[in-house]
Amino acid sequence: MNSPTTASAALEVHGLTRTYGEGAGAATALGGVDLAFVPGTFTAVMGPSGSGKSTFLSCAAGLERPTGGRVLVDGHDITDWAENDRTRLRRERIGFVFQGFHLMPYLTAEQNVALPLRLAGHRPDRARVAALLERVGLADRARHLPGALSGGQQQRVAIARALVTEPAVILADEPTGALDSTTARGVLALLRESVDALQQTVVMVTHDPVAAAYADTVVFLVDGRVAGRMDRPTADAVAGQLTHLSDLVAGGVS
Amino acid sequence: MTQLAWRSLRHRATASVATFVAVLLGTALMGSFATLAASASGPVSAADQDTLRTMGTVVGAWGAIIVLSAVVSTVGITVTQREVEIGLLRTVGATPRQTSRLVRAETLLVATLASALGAVLAWLGGGFLLALLRNTDTVQESARYRPGLAPVATAALVVLVSLLGAGFASRRATRGSASITPSEGRPGTARLQWWRIAAAVLLLGYSATMAVVTITVTAHDEDPYSAMATSGQLGILVALALACLAPWLLRVLSAPARPLLGTGPAAYLATYNSRRRARLLSGVLGPVIVLTAAGISVFMIVGTDDRTRPAGFEDDARTINLLNNVVVGMMVVFAAVVVINTFAAVVAHRRAELRQLWLLGATPRQVEASVLAEARGVAAIGVVLGAIASLAAVVPFGVARHEGVVPDGQLWLPPLVMAGAVVLTLLSARSAVRRAHVPAGALQ
Repeated sequence: MNSPTTASAALEVHGLTRTYGEGAGAATALGGVDLAFVPGTFTAVMGPSGSGKSTFLSCAAGLERPTGGRVLVDGHDITDWAENDRTRLRRERIGFVFQGFHLMPYLTAEQNVALPLRLAGHRPDRARVAALLERVGLADRARHLPGALSGGQQQRVAIARALVTEPAVILADEPTGALDSTTARGVLALLRESVDALQQTVVMVTHDPVAAAYADTVVFLVDGRVAGRMDRPTADAVAGQLTHLSDLVAGGVS
Repeated sequence: MTQLAWRSLRHRATASVATFVAVLLGTALMGSFATLAASASGPVSAADQDTLRTMGTVVGAWGAIIVLSAVVSTVGITVTQREVEIGLLRTVGATPRQTSRLVRAETLLVATLASALGAVLAWLGGGFLLALLRNTDTVQESARYRPGLAPVATAALVVLVSLLGAGFASRRATRGSASITPSEGRPGTARLQWWRIAAAVLLLGYSATMAVVTITVTAHDEDPYSAMATSGQLGILVALALACLAPWLLRVLSAPARPLLGTGPAAYLATYNSRRRARLLSGVLGPVIVLTAAGISVFMIVGTDDRTRPAGFEDDARTINLLNNVVVGMMVVFAAVVVINTFAAVVAHRRAELRQLWLLGATPRQVEASVLAEARGVAAIGVVLGAIASLAAVVPFGVARHEGVVPDGQLWLPPLVMAGAVVLTLLSARSAVRRAHVPAGALQ
């Protein structure tokens, strides 16, 4: 393991680039992104389709190797790590919340929550798992299989699972994309609470201005570059900025 | 609808291949024996007519049971796996009848192609079988190969049964209200289908009766092969009964089999997957049981017969044991292919889920290990059940031939067959999970 180079950021990327293909047909998904996420903050990453949001998340999580630049998680530069080391880092230092929940259909809610610990070879602390399920309001559903839970309940289980390892950062990929607006608010409130009450760090990719309004800061990506930030965002302000950015893209200006 | 079916087929190559292979080999296997029965109606001596007809119909008939149940099970798996997609079709406005028609149109396409090819193989295989019978002087040189329409009729029957299987499965998939969420984990979905229970009870009842008949009646017959005629197939029939109950058996037996899976995260995942998703994996368990039971029971019976045959029956013995060996050989090959086939279909279906495991932090080695641990559990449960099923043939025949409950020789054979079945199951699981290429990489 590398020794920590910076202690201040939970997640930081320097000069992050990602190109797909080679030569004339090469497509640039990320064109040099510098971002740092301070512990205990909630950041939304937004942008029009094709702006590089998902690629950014994949690279930050160590799922995908960037073409250039560095990725530091919890102070460790993981850019050149081997696949198995990155996998271990992912299950211990990164919590994931996906748009499609990604619960194992054959494990109960509590077993799903404990899964990252199991994969790491630890014996899960039952009390801790129960406390997390209690926190997400599903204490009475601990023994249910995902098939018996609603979409919102499944996403709550997924949030409890993301919290179970006390990760350095929680990466959320459109966490409310598959939910109705009422259920979505509950899920967003939970993410907000994990930042406020548990001092977690959350980075959420979303295209929904209402979701982004739950964050402390919104970062806008356009054509694989950071195109602006907004502190203490409101849904209206974010929506306005997004429309503006989309017009820029449509107008061919970048 | 045909165009939609065609596109849908190309989209799910592995599952289509599974159905294709099962139908192809099934038609080839059944059809080969059917041609013998057809040749019996040609200009042959009365004795040859008897031999050919017996081989063709008797062997063909219980071969047919295995083949048809394998086809129904494979088609069933591929339809069950598409539950979510079928739900989606219904959500956007396809009626249950339309959805069912889509599934049947797909099955018809695959099954027709496969069984047409299978009919050609059956035509060749039948000729080969007859040549074998002539070369071993089981039938006279004068016996001519007259397959007639037997391969075509077999192909038609297999297509018909595949369609029936598809109908069964799609009715199950389109029951209830349209929903795009998998019914997995919803209460009530773990129940055994009524026809499985009915078939199992029927097969077990028939087998028990015939076992008693073997010991009390045919054992005392002048023809020493009467006892074999009533007991020979019982091992396979009981195995088929257990295969019908496979989803339930896997669920119940996965707890005692737990130590075999080992320890660690992979074993943990495998345990719950086999217990809570027994229906999926039971498609592999069934053929493993049949494969083991067929191998053990037929070889053991041939062994007992060799040791205890009264003098003067050498000619009969040659015919019958040749028949036994050919049959068991074909059955074992067929069951082995079904195991490989089903594993490929089951693992291909789980690609997305295995990828999610990786996203959550399972190493590729852990992902592979969890599938292999499941295969170990299925293999262990399968060979033990298969060995138990084979007793239904070995014990009555042994008693009838005065060897008693435990045969006098060849006791090394059951462990050998079981080991072979375990190796086959593990290898097919490994190749399935490697071929599935669980994709590692970007989020979308």
